[in-house]
Amino acid sequence: MSSILFIALPLLFGFATPILSKFGKNGVAYTSMLMQMFLLYLAIDLVSTTSSYVEIISIAPPLGISFVLNSASLFFVTIFTFLITLFSLYYLTHRKTDAYENETKFFILLNMLLASSIGLVLSSDIFNIYVFFEIAGISAYILSAYKKTPSALEAGLKYLLTGAVASVFLVFAIALIYINVGSLNLAVISQSFEALPYNIKVLISILLLIGFGFKVEIFPLNFWVTDVYQGSSALVNALFSGIIVKAYLFVFFHILYLFLPSGEFSVFLVYLGAVSMLVAEIVGLKQTNLKRLFAYSSLGQVALIFTAFAMQNKEGIQAALFIVLAHSIAKFIIFLALTSIQGEHKSIHIETLKELNSPFLRAIMLIAMFSLLGIPLFAGFVGKFLALKSFAVEGMFVILMIIVISSLIESVYYFKLSGYMFSKGKKREVLNIGSTQKIVFVLLAFLLIFIGIAPFMISNFLGDSANILLDAKSYSDMLGGV
Amino acid sequence: MFEFLNQQEVIKTIVTIGSMVLFFVGLFGLLTRKHIIKIFISIAIMESSIFLLFIGLTFNTDFIAPILDNTHVNVSNMNDPVPHAMLLTAIVIGMAVLALGVSFAIEYFKLTGKTDINEMNEMKH
Repeated sequence: MSSILFIALPLLFGFATPILSKFGKNGVAYTSMLMQMFLLYLAIDLVSTTSSYVEIISIAPPLGISFVLNSASLFFVTIFTFLITLFSLYYLTHRKTDAYENETKFFILLNMLLASSIGLVLSSDIFNIYVFFEIAGISAYILSAYKKTPSALEAGLKYLLTGAVASVFLVFAIALIYINVGSLNLAVISQSFEALPYNIKVLISILLLIGFGFKVEIFPLNFWVTDVYQGSSALVNALFSGIIVKAYLFVFFHILYLFLPSGEFSVFLVYLGAVSMLVAEIVGLKQTNLKRLFAYSSLGQVALIFTAFAMQNKEGIQAALFIVLAHSIAKFIIFLALTSIQGEHKSIHIETLKELNSPFLRAIMLIAMFSLLGIPLFAGFVGKFLALKSFAVEGMFVILMIIVISSLIESVYYFKLSGYMFSKGKKREVLNIGSTQKIVFVLLAFLLIFIGIAPFMISNFLGDSANILLDAKSYSDMLGGV
Repeated sequence: MFEFLNQQEVIKTIVTIGSMVLFFVGLFGLLTRKHIIKIFISIAIMESSIFLLFIGLTFNTDFIAPILDNTHVNVSNMNDPVPHAMLLTAIVIGMAVLALGVSFAIEYFKLTGKTDINEMNEMKH
């Protein structure tokens, strides 16, 4: 019965927050963190005790709600709970100096976000996916506009507009699927999708690609991303880049593998991802606002993950999962560090880094950047290396070239940033970071280095996840009996 | 005179063509209008067209409402209730998102006095 807890607990907590807040100012913050820690404990317990875990929670057919927890979704659930726990830990110190107004609402949104991201990953019913898609979207829009400054509201508006358009296309796709297949269950759709007439199949695929394309930040549907990242606070950006995008990516490719196991559109998607990466990195070169710059870097990395996932073979997916892990952790470090810097310097311009006086933050940010860049002995390297290897094995040398060129362009601005960080000149006073926050940073950085040095510790698990993701037949057999 | 309209195929054709026209009206508005509220209305039109299409194609006028009680126990001549339940959810979600969007737009207008989507460029400076 444990997998239902991953969705039920945060949802329940979200709704109970207004009552909990009656018991004092700090009550919500601490209980929310404890709940997240409990979920993290559950997830880690499942990862460590069972080799390939499968659990189906199914509510009887008239309702027909079912959730599937297997190695692949468990991997994402573990990342989400881990990151959100560290986020809450970081926020516990952050709120003493710069708390959000109406904190109760902030915690409701935070837990809704967690519940819906996990729901997206676990759900095996396309309409439930739509509902979680919208809950995640709505929480993200509000979090984005939370500060109610003109730029935050503008970011929220742009996010909401694109999200609303995306959901229209998704509903269209779901309606067509239901009319043609007569079911909303992914397993049932998976059995009959490939046999549909070619035109219908292409139409549904295009609608799904547009619907999810906005959310997985793929070119040319990613025009809104940088504005949203720049307008929202850096703290929230950590959630956007570390959790929400990853949930959408997972669910998009989960659906793709189930519906089209033979990989009909795989080559097209691979090229789409590679072009997105190149465009993002080229445009990112000129940016001077740190949040905007890292938004472009996020776009590039997400496009790389997209490309690796779109390969639709075991090596590609394993590489993608490695990059997901490395990128989520590294972007969490970067955006939390930016939050600390912005809180002190009141500015997020690239020149701010020159005045940054905190050896600790500089070291931590450097580790994160090295990992994003893919330097050996850091987690990012393993993912990038495996991805390049899988392109080479498949003989896709054009893609390989594009990825290498984009990485070179990416390295230009990371080296520029580290140059700014270590330049001599006038420094500010020492930036104070709370000890809890230091623990959060050190833990994240340690994980990056640990995975970089010992990737074999998790590579079996990830290979297993990749196999499970690809195996559409056993997925539908498993659910078909329920 | 208009009895031919009662045929399933005719109804479905009319619904399909009508809702697709509505969809493209909405899409046209989304791409060409500049006022933020008009853009929201365009999105609402697009959404409604999808709902109409979905209901129109899954609804059979010869069948009865899917309500089980003592007198109606035969399921074979009832309409499929799933699209209805789904669309109720989708309509509520769509409403909520639009309401949230309008509230953002109002707050933004209070702060800056702008309603034109092209003038929304707080990030540029």
